[in-house]
Order: sequence, then structure tokens, then C-alpha cells
Amino acid sequence: MSLQQLNSTGFEEIIYDNCEPCLVIFSKKECHVCKEVVPMLEELKPQYDGKFGFYYVDVEEDKELFQRFSLKGVPQILFFNNGEYQGKLAGKVEEESVEEKIAEVLGV
Amino acid sequence: MKRTALTQKLLVLGVDGMDPRITRKFLAEGKMPNLQKFIERGSAREDLRLLGAIPTITPPCWTTLATGAYPGTHGITCYWRQSPESLDAVVYNMDSRNCTAEQIWNITAEAGLKTLVWHWPGSSWPPTSHSENLSVVDGTQPGSVNMGVAQLDWEKVIVASPEIKEVRYAPRVDKPAGVGCIITDLEDSLDADVDDEMMELWWGDTAREGGEIRTFVMDDEDTEVVIGSKVAYDIVNSPLKDATGWANAPEGAKEFTILTSGGVMRRPALILKNEAGEYDRVAIYKNKKAEAPIVTLERDKMVSGIIDDVTKKEVTKPACRSMKILELDPVGNKVRLWISNALDIANDQLWHPKSLFGEIVENVGVVPPVSLIGGEDAELVREIFEPSWVQYNQWQADCMNYCINEKGYEAVFSHLHNIDCAGHQLWHLGKTLSPWDHTDEKTYQGFIEKFYIQTDDYLGEFMHLLDEGWTVLVLSDHGLIVGENVPPIIGEYGGLNTKVMEDLGYTVMKKDENGNSIREVDWEKTRAVQIRSNYIYLNIKGRDKYGIVDPKDKYDLEEQIISDLYNYRDDRTGKRVIGICLRNKDAVLIGANGPECGDIFFSVEEGYNRLHGDSISTSEGYFETSVSPIFVAAGNGIKPGFTTERTIRQVDVAPSVSVLLGLRYPAQCEGAPIYQIFSEDV
Repeated sequence: MSLQQLNSTGFEEIIYDNCEPCLVIFSKKECHVCKEVVPMLEELKPQYDGKFGFYYVDVEEDKELFQRFSLKGVPQILFFNNGEYQGKLAGKVEEESVEEKIAEVLGV
Repeated sequence: MKRTALTQKLLVLGVDGMDPRITRKFLAEGKMPNLQKFIERGSAREDLRLLGAIPTITPPCWTTLATGAYPGTHGITCYWRQSPESLDAVVYNMDSRNCTAEQIWNITAEAGLKTLVWHWPGSSWPPTSHSENLSVVDGTQPGSVNMGVAQLDWEKVIVASPEIKEVRYAPRVDKPAGVGCIITDLEDSLDADVDDEMMELWWGDTAREGGEIRTFVMDDEDTEVVIGSKVAYDIVNSPLKDATGWANAPEGAKEFTILTSGGVMRRPALILKNEAGEYDRVAIYKNKKAEAPIVTLERDKMVSGIIDDVTKKEVTKPACRSMKILELDPVGNKVRLWISNALDIANDQLWHPKSLFGEIVENVGVVPPVSLIGGEDAELVREIFEPSWVQYNQWQADCMNYCINEKGYEAVFSHLHNIDCAGHQLWHLGKTLSPWDHTDEKTYQGFIEKFYIQTDDYLGEFMHLLDEGWTVLVLSDHGLIVGENVPPIIGEYGGLNTKVMEDLGYTVMKKDENGNSIREVDWEKTRAVQIRSNYIYLNIKGRDKYGIVDPKDKYDLEEQIISDLYNYRDDRTGKRVIGICLRNKDAVLIGANGPECGDIFFSVEEGYNRLHGDSISTSEGYFETSVSPIFVAAGNGIKPGFTTERTIRQVDVAPSVSVLLGLRYPAQCEGAPIYQIFSEDV
């Protein structure tokens, strides 16, 4: 299941106004590692349907979001809950790490 | 040795950078009534002067005040210590373990007096006595308590208006004075790496760990007065629009967004209308679902003690902030807001015993942050920088009075940094010289006055002690001058000063393909370097890593350098810029000799010196300023209403404390008690 793309307006609404627990992967089209990590997240997404949101930001299209979080390099997965930043995972991350972090954010 | 004490309780009220010459100007104008009372009830020289130790730099002078020893003896000879490995590098020096003289507070504590050393930036941390009577708070940097270790996030200015379409964040922007806080080119405003703790900000983690620091002072842009007056803070731009999606937004409220923690933390905020329909308050929330705000700000009122979570390096902690509205359009079309740096409210790393930290927080309050932005931006100085120090001064006075009244401390050695902090940012703007002719000297002279008035208020918080059997010493490490000229590139304490020594042919820097000097010393051609405030080191074979000067030529080369320095002329005015110049062995005359003082000691001549540090302490500047420290004593054991002609030296303070409290002298003390001002013959 593909991830929903966020621009800066969507980011404000989903992350902050709705206070939804979710992750956002910051990626770009030409990045090799992103091409491995994004499909992994797409596979994972259905398991969390209705409980945890999965989104992506294309850093070339939305550079300011990338800069705002002082990120260096892609891919980076940022986690949010109740409108609060909950940490990030960077680089080539394994499925288990993402699942562990989601459990931590959800307080499971 | 036994001696009868002249007092049982003694407070040293140290004020970093307090200058007796300009103090007398403000006293004469009736602007410092509390100090006036201390003088009338105590003893001082007519000119209120203390003869400062050399160099006139903070850590050496506070260490001299604490030990009664000259810098050459106690070994703290600048802000920095020379690197034992490299002639062009320094290492951090605000560490009591580098001090080779005994501190007076160890004597008071070991004699049974409950002793507090409060933020003394000269050989106080870590504590050097195991006595359970000794308490020490910070002292690892001169700024404010905990500033060096507890800072989690930097100062920000938030601008919101309907014209701004999306939230933008730019960390640590150097803002030229007079330019609005609208981010127009984010690419240009981004630094590669942004740090928040002061130690990181100033010198990187290597400094804290004792590693080498290389700073080259090559032209005016590298000097402290130019760097220090630039205003750098994070800028947040946000749309300002009707509030939507809120659990509890009042009628007519408009929303905007604040970003903190390097951009990862977001706080929604509202501007609120009063009964007359004008916007006059800002409420900041944790999120839109929150029922109550974290804080509601009113116009013209700085609020401190605001506790909110801050994330740094992936760790989230509660931190203390101050905030103030800078501008709020009554019809709701613009808001500008300042939020301070954030201090970790649980950091007790530099408190001994640690239990004192908890007691202070519980009974007085969390450490309030001070602002470090202002410089050439007069609005920020007026609205933020100066008032943030007023708040901090009050907190510190409350802490010390709590320790005195409730905790039974009998000997208190304290330091406040307000004047020196302001001096380093602002004092040079007290005379309009060409590099800063876009500023107005009258405005900045007014700020100097405000900082002295707030200092007088701080001193007034301790006036009651004179009626409670205490002895109070008001003193400083040095003053700060308003410069008559733009200083030459020699004697800047922050690093290796290259220009004058390059002009004279002693230091040779490597060159780029265009023949311009780069920031790397060419050791194969360098015979001597000028590093830190007042020191010249020859590059001696067998002694120094890349030495080229034969040891047998050392004496002649020293003579040649001294002669050339005396003959050196300022290229702007054609006048001499070097004051005194002495071989190490001869510098014993001013206590600036020994292994930490280089091969040659020199000072910069009055008129060409910078704020303080490079000149001798008797130098005077524009706007009735001087580099001299101040000394006033009052209370038990001190003659009331007495004026002495005695030259009072900084080395005389510690032995005077010994006499007043009936204790022995510090082991390496080189001064003598100021017996002329004591109420009894000793």
C-alpha cells in the first residue's frame, strides 16, 4: 500500500492539528537506500491501519520541511504523536527497528 | 597563629567588569544610591579603585582575588592556558586544578565557617577542599549559573503575519542591525552545524574536554568587538490566521506557530483580543487539543520560569524559558515574539553539594536564562538583553539571601556577570567609530547607565546585612573601557594574533595561490608568535615542536622583538600601540612572570586597547571608563565613612578577608591586609 505524500500544509494538518500517531519518511526519488526502505514501510503499513499513520515527504519538492527538522541526508523516518516529535531513525533501517519504534511511540 | 576576628560573617559581592571611574560618574548623578550608602557606611579610596592584577582578564583576576597571589604565581594567566603541545593553540583554563595557589574559601571552610562560593570564575570548580563546610556553585564559565552545561535550545524571534504563507525555520542567523526578521533566502541563512550549549557554541566539545583550540585573529572581522556585537538567533516565520481546530480557542483568536528544539518541536500559539477588541496577549499551547496554555504573555512584560519540554539530540527534557512580546498589532496583522534559550531545569552537575541545587529550585526557583542577543540591535538590548539580566540578578540575590538567612552560611564569595557580559557586546558602541557608525553612541551610553543602575539595585538587596553583623566587600576583577580607537590586531585574548607580528616579520602564515595569508602558521619561517592576551612565545629549537630559533640567540631575539614592538605604529593614526614590554624574568615586577607567561609580556597602550585584558589596569577610555577594578568595604570590622589613600591591590583582598575573619593567610599569598581601613589595629 503506497504512502500518502505530505507537503508543508498537509504536514501541519496531519501531524499537528490532528495529533495523529504516525511516521514520516523523508526521502528522494534518486536515493538508492530510499528505494529499499520505502517499500518496506509500504508493506508494513496495512498492519497498522487505523492505529498508526505512514506518510512521506519528498525532500526535493519540500525542501523547507527537510531544513526545518535540521536533517542531514535521506532517508530519515521521523515519528510523531500528539503533535510532538518522538525521535527518528536514519539510513537503511530494518523492519524490526521500525516496529519497535512504533510500539514505543504507541506506548505498547 | 591566633588572631581575634573582626567579624563573624563576611560577604564578597563581586561584580565582573565593574569600573570605579564610571561608577563615580553615576554616583555623582545620584543614580547609584545603594552603593552610595555602602561607601558612606564603609571604607574605600576616594577614587574607589583597586589596583588590578595583570593581565586584566577575568579568570586570572578572580583567582588573584581568591588567593592573594599574582597570576604568575597562581598560574592562571589568561582565559586560556597555553597548549603544552603547540605554540599556536590554547586549552581551557577555568579549572581549579590548574591553580597553584591556595584559595581563601578553603581556609574559611576548614576553619569551621559555613562557606558558599557562588559562580566565581577563577579556580573555584571543582571544589579543592574536602571540608563539608564548603559549598560551590558552578564557576566553569563567567556567564551565568549553569549556562555552560544546561543549555538545551537557543534564543528565537518568531514573526507571524498573514502575508507569510508557510512555517519556516532558520537556525542561528547573523542578523545585521535594522533588517527585519523575515526569512527570504533560507539557503544562505543555514549553518552546517548548530550547537546549543554555550561551551559547544563558543569552542566546541574539544574545549570542555581540554583539547586544543586554534583561533586566528587576523583582521578586524576576527576581533571580539566585531563578533560580539553581531546578533545571532534562530528565526521562525509563521502564517497568522483565524484559529481552526482548537479545543478551546477564544472568540476572535488568531493562530500562529512557534518552532523550538532545532525545528523539531512545535507549539501552536494564539493572539487574543481584550474587551476593547484589540489584540494584546499571546497564549502558547502544548498542542491544539490542550485546554489551557503553557503561558499567556502580556505586552511589555518579560515572563520567566516558563517550563516546557525541549528536545536536543533526540532526548526530551523539561527546560526553563523566558518570553516577551516584541510587537503585537492591535488589529491582529502582525506579532513578533522573543523566546529565550532553554535551560535544563534538572542539571545539578556543577553544584556541590548537589542537594543545594534542589533546595534553591524549591525555595527560590529554577535558574532563569539570560539573553545573549542585543549587540548592535538597540531594540533587542532595550527590550530583551538588559531586562533579562534584571531578572537574573534578582534570582541570584534571592538565592544568596536564602543561603544567608535560611541555610546559615557565614562566608560567601559571589560573582555576578551582568556588566561584563553587556560590556563585551555593547561598550565599544559607546563611541561612534567608523566600523559601527550605523549605531548611535548616546543610545549605547544609555545602556551602560542602565546596567550600572541594575547593578546598584542588586547591591541594594544585601544592604540589610550591614545591620545584621555582616562585613560586605564590593569588588570587581577589572573594568571595561569604551575604546578611543579601533584596536590593533594584537592582544586579543581569544587566540593567535597574527597581523602585527606578521608586519614585523616574526610570524609567517602560509599563503594561498594568490599570496594571501591562510589560517595556518608556517613554522619553518616563524620565529615568534603572539598568543592570548599579552604573551609572546619564541619558537625555540629543542623546546618547541617546530622550533627554529637557536637557544643561544633567544636573548638577542627578545631584545629585537621588544624594540620592534615599541617602534610599531598604528596604521590608522601613526601612534605607538604597545605600552610596556618585558622579558619573562623582568615581568616579575607586575606578577606576570613564570612558566605560564611566555617569553615576553607586553601590554597595549592606553587609547589603543580593547575593552579589557590587553592593557594595564590603570588605562582609561572614552565616556569616563577605565579598566580598573573597584573596591568598597563596609560593615563589621571596617571603619565607617572612611577614605584611605592606601593603594589597594587585588592581592590584598584575600589576606584582608583572613584578618577580618581571624584566620591564617592563604599559603601563596603575596598581598598585605588593608589594615588602614580596619576598625581595630591588628
